[in-house]
Amino acid sequence: MKISAHVAVILIAASLCLTQATGQVVGQGLSAEAKSKDVAEARAKRNAQTFQNKASILTLLDRYGKQTGKVGERAMYDSAILSPDGKRVAGIKQDLDNESFDLFVMDVATGAATRLTTSARTEYVYSPVWSPDGNRLAYVSMRGGQERICARAATGQGAEEVLYNNPGANMDLSDWSLDGQFLTFSISDIKGGVLYVLKLEGGSDRKPVEIFHSDLRIFESRFSPDGRYLSYIVLDKADKAEIFVRSSDPTANAGPWQISDGTFSPGFWVGGGKELYYMARDRSIMAAEVSTSPSFSFKKPRLLFRQEVPVPDQLMYISADGERFLVLPPARGQQLQQVTIFDRKGQVVKKVGEPALYTQPAFSPGGDRLLVMKEDLKTGQQDLWVIDVNTTRATRITDDTRVKVTPLWSPDGKYIFYSALLDGDWPVYRKAADGAGKEELLFRYTPGAFVGLSDISSDGKFLVCGSGGVVLLVPLTVSDPAARKPVDYLRDEFDDETGRLSPDGRFIAYRSDEAKPERYEVYVRPFDAAKPADDKKWQVSKDGVVAMLHWRGDGKEIFFRGQELDSDDLVVMAAEVETTPTFRVAAPKVLFRLPGPVKDSLGAISHDGQQFVLAINVPADKTEHASSGQ
Amino acid sequence: MTSRTKLFLLVFAVLLSGQSWAHHNMTAVFDFNDRVTVTGTLTAIDWRNPHTYFTVEVKGAAGAIESWQIEGPSPSFFRIRDVGKPDFQDSVGKTVTVELSRARDKSRSGLIRTFTLSNGKIVSACPQNC
Repeated sequence: MKISAHVAVILIAASLCLTQATGQVVGQGLSAEAKSKDVAEARAKRNAQTFQNKASILTLLDRYGKQTGKVGERAMYDSAILSPDGKRVAGIKQDLDNESFDLFVMDVATGAATRLTTSARTEYVYSPVWSPDGNRLAYVSMRGGQERICARAATGQGAEEVLYNNPGANMDLSDWSLDGQFLTFSISDIKGGVLYVLKLEGGSDRKPVEIFHSDLRIFESRFSPDGRYLSYIVLDKADKAEIFVRSSDPTANAGPWQISDGTFSPGFWVGGGKELYYMARDRSIMAAEVSTSPSFSFKKPRLLFRQEVPVPDQLMYISADGERFLVLPPARGQQLQQVTIFDRKGQVVKKVGEPALYTQPAFSPGGDRLLVMKEDLKTGQQDLWVIDVNTTRATRITDDTRVKVTPLWSPDGKYIFYSALLDGDWPVYRKAADGAGKEELLFRYTPGAFVGLSDISSDGKFLVCGSGGVVLLVPLTVSDPAARKPVDYLRDEFDDETGRLSPDGRFIAYRSDEAKPERYEVYVRPFDAAKPADDKKWQVSKDGVVAMLHWRGDGKEIFFRGQELDSDDLVVMAAEVETTPTFRVAAPKVLFRLPGPVKDSLGAISHDGQQFVLAINVPADKTEHASSGQ
Repeated sequence: MTSRTKLFLLVFAVLLSGQSWAHHNMTAVFDFNDRVTVTGTLTAIDWRNPHTYFTVEVKGAAGAIESWQIEGPSPSFFRIRDVGKPDFQDSVGKTVTVELSRARDKSRSGLIRTFTLSNGKIVSACPQNC
């Protein structure tokens, strides 16, 4: 949960909470500034948009991938698991307004929900597991800065029992043994992981037993029905996940055995421990025949079924009999993206290629090529591609499982620059825009720290990057990448991001929340790479902005995306500017609107400011019937 | 499958030009399973992104003064919550107590879990820093 604030509200939901009985606690609530009417209203609208874009209804499939029912209300589910008898679902729902997560039990037949926990603002519970008799649920709570494993009756009756106080952090509770005597959990961070088993016999001084540890991260351990083995996920340095099995006895020299060839889910023991099911990276449901007696053995996994839809459902849980699959369909239904070029009035100029899973389209400096991030429907892998606008011929730039972000064209159009997640770090690379050769490491930032690219100087001598609300300059003139050190260009108490240089290099536009919390505006400052920013600046926007900050090639116009909290539409704004003898800006105007939601990118605008390229959501052809491997 | 796992397994690169990002994975530098508590005089505050920093002078076992460098959440984190820079400024030159996740290199530095101000107020940076 500590990877990216962009991903989990938990990251930004740091609570300021009671830790000692005698102290006066501060920081539970919002500041006066954050509670002001306009800030609160904007937050409520953002939350409503987030809910619309991310909430879904839990759905049950049979073992052939056919939908058999829905469970409960539309919500933002963090996790959901079927009870042993299959009649109830325990689910963690996110409350955006309260910045919290809580546990509910839903009746599969009626949808009636029972609330089991009520978290204070910014606190949460997660990782529910059913007791084998279906009478209780154990889960991890984070309250008052203390991680605990707790349990209570599935009916919501009675008091909560604390099973284990974790002296550390990052527990991933994932199973309750069939004999009811053990829980299993893992603790992982960027330095590796440890797999534990906790014997429930005894009192609050229970001590977990370490099964094994690794310099790789470990998740989602699950007992075989006979309790002799544990399946678990190991995440390698390139963030590729695999399912392994090993003995649950730490003294036994048994295993590990690698079951999967790439997984997108935990392993689920099925049929009394005779099979392991999981979702492969291509979203196929796979089944591996296994045996746990006299010792562990397994056969090559076979295809059980694959949903023949562009965006397969997210697998949440598989019942122990292998007959029911609990999934979360895509929140906005089956959608692909059509790369589309628009003019300044928002009229379609051209549709490029066929719909696919595209994000972040960006014009090359010459406007004849597009850089896109494309997710392969077969492998689930996201890679950078360059598409010729006229011929639609696509050239692959990357081919790997790493997460790649903030791709940019070099000013001469010969290279693609990007950050890629590797072993918890975000090195910056470049690769030839024709796909030839190997990628070249340009820069490594602080270990574990995210760094995103926002611009490259026209002479290619330095990168403009952002990290943690600081605008950084990275000189590329030093030949050794390890010796390239970032310089803080703009660093203050506000979140300053997305530095974009004027074409003449004399000014820098950026976004900052200095005017209001949780809202960004565009500002421009004089720029000199040789020294940090001074106090001189001009505010360009006044009504809030999101993304898409761009200078027209002649430096006479700045484009940005206006904030539209009432509709989620894309609103492209333009402000005429002058940079000589000094900076002057006219009032921004709406250039055009498109029905949302539409994602955009820094490179969405052509050099001359006449064209805009966007990945527009379009309904995907949906095949009702899943394909079966049986 | 919980969000903790999903974060690692799901490709979350739908990230675009310019949304806010967390600065770094705290576990790269700090060991969340190695907690220490220090009591001393708060001598300096650096209230800038990407993280706030605090200097606390602590009397060591031999009586010598040891300087601890303590990292806290970003200023924008405090901006929307009802504790802020003035609360910390009021404690400068006074005694504070800080519970930390210690740096992995065992230097005198750490990440705030809880910060007890000189007036007894307790600021907790959990769950973000816990």
